[in-house]
Amino acid sequence: MIIRKISHVLCEYRNIMPLFAGACALLFLAGILLLPIPYAEHQLYPKYIDRNSTLDPYDRGGPPFVQVTIGSQYPENSPSAGLVTTYLTPFSLFLSKTTLHLGTTIVAHPGGILDEILYNTRGLDTVVEPTILFIAFAIASYLYRKG
Amino acid sequence: MSDPIGGVPYYILEFGDELVYFTPYTITLFLLALTFTVLVIISRPERQMDIAFGGDAYGTKEISLTELQFRRFMAIACGLASMGAMVTGDIFNFTLFTAMVGITNVGIVAAVKSHHVQDAAFQYGLVALCATVPLFGGAAVYAASTGSLSMIELMKGTLPAVPLIAKALLVIGVVGEGMAPFYAAKAEMFRAPGAPYVIMCSLSSLLIFLRVVEVVMLG
Repeated sequence: MIIRKISHVLCEYRNIMPLFAGACALLFLAGILLLPIPYAEHQLYPKYIDRNSTLDPYDRGGPPFVQVTIGSQYPENSPSAGLVTTYLTPFSLFLSKTTLHLGTTIVAHPGGILDEILYNTRGLDTVVEPTILFIAFAIASYLYRKG
Repeated sequence: MSDPIGGVPYYILEFGDELVYFTPYTITLFLLALTFTVLVIISRPERQMDIAFGGDAYGTKEISLTELQFRRFMAIACGLASMGAMVTGDIFNFTLFTAMVGITNVGIVAAVKSHHVQDAAFQYGLVALCATVPLFGGAAVYAASTGSLSMIELMKGTLPAVPLIAKALLVIGVVGEGMAPFYAAKAEMFRAPGAPYVIMCSLSSLLIFLRVVEVVMLG
């Protein structure tokens, strides 16, 4: 009987969204109650932030075309890791020399910083992320053209 | 490697920091996704018949070629994302593929010219949107608490234990993306004509749910 009542609520698909959001909220609340979550000191991808750099959160350090040490799980699989850390287009280079806040505009100007460090060490992430974006664009443009 | 959940990997493809591994469990799921994707590519879609009760009137629903092409494209993308999610050996990549499955599921039915189906797809899209927060949040807690994202490393048991909340976040994220137990909304979506493409929604969510069971048992 109770199952019938539950499935009666669930069969109306407009109820699913509030129900799922409620479940997420409960889980987040449980997450807050379970704090502190232990933090592993030995991180695979360590990050050092230099507040004085013009590329602030994205500054990977190292002179251009000289290999720098980059943390990776399997260094033997990516011998070229660290050779290219970031790549700036001429426009981005101009911005980085004139303003201190290029790091905050990573997605706000065309051809910003391509995160080559991720591309060289982790690889597939950078391919799947734009794929999701392009799929979303494809759906949106199809619906728009269909009218 | 101590007591791997899905069996001893037959083959590990080294791909930078993201290993792709084929255990008996993941290779079964991968082959299922591959077979169905091939079926989607080669099959001709069904055309729904409407029959009026109490009379002899019936008709076939007309589906335009562009609509079918778009839906086939989305179904193939969904199959590729499912295959990726089945064999990847990286927590973050798994969440990315799962998010892609969610958005392609919406895309498969978004092309249908039925108000009811589109309404259901929109609601489902909202759930998939909402689910990305716990999904990627779970992956972030995995990275913070173990220091690594590699499933092979988590299998070894040398890393710190994964907190229960990270696993719970990951599971609820996959549930939202694949709508695993909430098939009510999907049943509405299944009213869309075009059999092999629509079934891809169901199969992909089943596969990612089966895979996440293995993922949460690793660490």
